[in-house]
Amino acid sequence: MPATTFRIFRYQPDSGETESYHQDFQLEHGEKTTLLDAILRIQNEQDGTVAVRYSCRSAICGSCACKANGKTVLACMTQVEHVKTDSGQEIVQVDPIGNFTPIKDLVVDMTPFWEKFKAVKPFLIPDGPAPEKERLVPKAAMEKIAKESKCILCAACYSECNSLAADPEFVGPAAFAWGYRFAADERDGQRKNRAKLYSGEHGVWDCTRCMFCNERCPKGVDPRDAIEKLGSIAFQEKVTSDKGARHAKAFLISLRTGGKLNEILIAPYTDPIGAPFNAPLALRMAQKGKLPKSPLTHRVKDRDQVKKLIKNVKETI
Amino acid sequence: MRTHDVVVVGAGLAGMRAAIAAHEAGVDVALVTKLHPVRSHSGAAQGGINAALGNETEDSTDNHTFDTVKGADYIGDQDAIEILCQRAPLEIYQLEHWGAVFSRQEDSGKIAQRPFGGAGFPRTCYAADLTGLVILHTLYTVCVKYDIPTYEEWFVTDLVTDDDGNAVGVVAYDMIHGTIETIGAKAVVMATGGAGRVYRPSTNAHASTGDAMGMALRKGVPLKDMEFMQFHPTTLAANGVLVTEGARGEGGYLLNKDGDRFMTKYAPNKLELASRDVVSRAEATEIMEGRGIDGCVMLDLRHLGRDRIMERLPQIRELAIAFAGTDPIVEPIPIRPGAHYHMGGVHVDNWGAAPHMPGLFAAGECSCVSVHGANRLGGNSLLEAVVFGARAGEASAAYVQEHSAAPKVPSNAAAETQARIENLLARDKGIRQSEIRDELADVMQEKVGVYRSGPVLGEAKRTVTELRERFQSVVVDDKGKTFNTDLIHTLETGFLLDLADCMVTGAIARTESRGAHSRTDFTERDDENWMKHTLSYLDDGEVRLDYSEVAMTKYEPQVRSY
Repeated sequence: MPATTFRIFRYQPDSGETESYHQDFQLEHGEKTTLLDAILRIQNEQDGTVAVRYSCRSAICGSCACKANGKTVLACMTQVEHVKTDSGQEIVQVDPIGNFTPIKDLVVDMTPFWEKFKAVKPFLIPDGPAPEKERLVPKAAMEKIAKESKCILCAACYSECNSLAADPEFVGPAAFAWGYRFAADERDGQRKNRAKLYSGEHGVWDCTRCMFCNERCPKGVDPRDAIEKLGSIAFQEKVTSDKGARHAKAFLISLRTGGKLNEILIAPYTDPIGAPFNAPLALRMAQKGKLPKSPLTHRVKDRDQVKKLIKNVKETI
Repeated sequence: MRTHDVVVVGAGLAGMRAAIAAHEAGVDVALVTKLHPVRSHSGAAQGGINAALGNETEDSTDNHTFDTVKGADYIGDQDAIEILCQRAPLEIYQLEHWGAVFSRQEDSGKIAQRPFGGAGFPRTCYAADLTGLVILHTLYTVCVKYDIPTYEEWFVTDLVTDDDGNAVGVVAYDMIHGTIETIGAKAVVMATGGAGRVYRPSTNAHASTGDAMGMALRKGVPLKDMEFMQFHPTTLAANGVLVTEGARGEGGYLLNKDGDRFMTKYAPNKLELASRDVVSRAEATEIMEGRGIDGCVMLDLRHLGRDRIMERLPQIRELAIAFAGTDPIVEPIPIRPGAHYHMGGVHVDNWGAAPHMPGLFAAGECSCVSVHGANRLGGNSLLEAVVFGARAGEASAAYVQEHSAAPKVPSNAAAETQARIENLLARDKGIRQSEIRDELADVMQEKVGVYRSGPVLGEAKRTVTELRERFQSVVVDDKGKTFNTDLIHTLETGFLLDLADCMVTGAIARTESRGAHSRTDFTERDDENWMKHTLSYLDDGEVRLDYSEVAMTKYEPQVRSY
């Protein structure tokens, strides 16, 4: 029977201690013990003060996201032995999810998460009255939002989000997955307004595209893909005055005209007002050889192929 | 003190549907839940929700009613079942209008429907195998839209009554801030879900501890039909996690160790889609008679093919891989019957009102109307939660409008609870709740399971009584105020013990076999003596039984075969 040292993050405000620390617990357990079962056994057999949120233990309620050796997981669907082999470490360190403030041990203050969720207007706003029976929706149209509908709001994506670490106001992956779920629902009548709501400061364009949310989502929701699709919706709805949208547009124009990126033209197009203020930086970059020598980059030879590629991409989104 | 017109305890399907209905009726309603609403166990329901929409084949609410009456083994109240089935299509359309992402038919764009156990027609609407999650989320989004005040992570400890015995609010422990407070109300709707954690393994969440039943029982409100616990035929051996009936609805086979589809013996017509009690007994018999594999039989989905499994049963695949190490695309899943759904609950009428306590309502699994009788049909629990959730919400709003005077909430309610809890926390030595809970769950599993008999039930009763005594010296490890889960588990264990006693006592008394209650010493259904509901009361700590009539409309009891 394997034995494991669990190094659990402790923060016990009631005890008068203001600092957090890690505490080691030894536990003998079965080959197929989940991380949640291990924590609950520690709670029941060794220390009843260990606090953790959990409920369904079948990966659907979204309560028990935490970090196991640095990686955000749902504790209930993660085997202890897998954590060890996956991380190459014998000790399993358990920490609360990142980007949140601890309340007690593994329990964090989720208030900002729920506020952001509510901020994306996560409810259907249809045009006109409902029919007597169900609205008819083609199967394919409904399946378009099937992936995002699987989001269980566990906040694993927020735990790993680099944009959120840099900007606590960033709306974030799960909320945007929900935003897409409604914006792309053909029964909803607020597509354009949603595109506006999700743009702007802390909006979809502020995502750093680090892909960690896709990587760590335990349900395969792929929030980054949803954010990207929201970007496309913004374009389709002509909500493109946002700096982020202009940046994306600059890429496209550059590709269309020269067949490749023209970095010197992208900055002023993205932010015509702000760009001149960055001139000193540009100069320094040029001195260090970080900029192309000429603003007129080479055109690629077979630009028709690039155009075809762009057309292809357009048709698939 | 905080007050609202209506306080709804529990924010799963029944609770949120009740709150939405009360809100729409124009009263001030608040939700109180020990979890966050989206964490509620309704979200774990997988396969679907029944309504005679007739989208796949001709169907009618009469058909649905008959199937449900028969499934209930004739002990469901037929007037209530008619209400359930008639309102079903309206509730499905309502959920769809609110945005529920139901799976659709290929050509028409209508809501798709799949076959389910005990049903004569494909009647189960679904969202892949995430139906509960999708409906739970839909109702939550409506609560967000309506801005219904919600006390999240407030554990309700007591139901509060006035001097005349009316329900006038609840006392709750605010887990984040560590305070104990009274929330006054003119009406209370209880919707805290089932008590599946009386057993282990169980498909139920750790939070499914039947709190509403426990609280009502202690206030003199009787519980109905507590002996009827449903064992779901397909749960994962490792931890009891549910594998949807939709897996069989989509065409899955049940095989024994010889590779035989053994249901041909037990239910030659409906096979794997007989009602749950029938299939669970068949499996238990196969395993007992030595035709199982390591205490399991096999659920074989391979012939459905990868595409169908990925489209219709994606979560099942994910769970089978995570918990059983089995990919159903390439090999059968070892499964066995496991405690799943409790037909019994707080005794209420067709509006969810408790006849024994004015101002108290209950809906969903914690209540017993009764529409499920001795055995619930798959796809009828989500339905009951929304239909009777809505009705309890409407009825509580109407009650409030008739009783507009401010409720006379006892001023010392929270203080009494506080004193009780401080007393409990002051104890330094004793037995931990987890020990009692584990022992209880094991004895219930072993002795009050799929098959029961008088002598073995008697043994269970003695153990439960003894555990209730030992619980008097329970010790709570965590003495703190903030997020004290040890304290909460201890209070929950108290509820579970009382409920288990009602289940066992009711089971001993019912000397017949009906639905999920199957006695090896009384193998036949006995309509002459037992066509009646059991009511359990708690008198000075002792369970006392009484009985009430079953409502019949037009369906005469028949021999039940599938």
